[in-house]
Amino acid sequence: MSVNPFDLRTVLLAKHAQHVVLIHFPIALFTAAVAFDYFGQSAKSRTLAAAAYFNLLLAAVSIVPVVSTGLAAWRWALEGQKLKGMLLMHLVLGCISSALIWLVFWIHLRSRRHPEVPLPKYRLPIEALAVLIVGLTGHLGGFLSGVNGPG
Amino acid sequence: MRRSVSIAVLLATLGLGIAGLGAGTRNFAASAQQKLQTLEVKIDNFSFGPMELTVPVGTTVTWTNRDDIPHTVVSTDKVFKSQVLDTDEKFSFTFSKAGTYPYFCSIHPKMTGKVVVQ
Repeated sequence: MSVNPFDLRTVLLAKHAQHVVLIHFPIALFTAAVAFDYFGQSAKSRTLAAAAYFNLLLAAVSIVPVVSTGLAAWRWALEGQKLKGMLLMHLVLGCISSALIWLVFWIHLRSRRHPEVPLPKYRLPIEALAVLIVGLTGHLGGFLSGVNGPG
Repeated sequence: MRRSVSIAVLLATLGLGIAGLGAGTRNFAASAQQKLQTLEVKIDNFSFGPMELTVPVGTTVTWTNRDDIPHTVVSTDKVFKSQVLDTDEKFSFTFSKAGTYPYFCSIHPKMTGKVVVQ
């Protein structure tokens, strides 16, 4: 059966494959945001800080469909059965990653709303930890989807 | 007298031979039936092996996950459905009706297989 990649149904009816596609957006945006923030911090550049903020904003927004499609895959593809092993670890780490991305975004948002308050330095280790956990979650996701495996 | 003893011995030997042959046939049939009753499908390297299986009615098929990745075995027609199978976990289903049973892994929908029950 041939599939037309430009047929809207192939996008909308892809079921949990959408999770696998959408996950790349927050990973890329958040990693770029953290890189901009670190460079902005060391170069004391407001432009890089702004770039970090907008990347974080988009990462935080794009997390919503990613979490939704991941939970939908659990609900529909696996019919909500009790998860274990790698799938459970992926779910837990995914939730922690999402919370950390939202936390980092909230820290930046709060500072942006109150320009007199500088960005706290403690955000930097949180961002580093978040990148690490996002990477680990993505690694497990890659294994589960078969991208990192022999298949 | 000697002749009748010879005939008796011959008949007894023949009878034992026929009985032994019958028992052997029964054993062979039982063994073949046993072999047909349980068949294994291995899940490895993101594929079902064998991909297509033809079995008689009443056969139990056991799927074993030999992969490092969790998989499921789900009938396309919702006839059977496994839990998530981690490495070395098994799922069995007995096919009591003839027909074609396509199935797939719900985590990796491109992994497909088929059981033909005759």
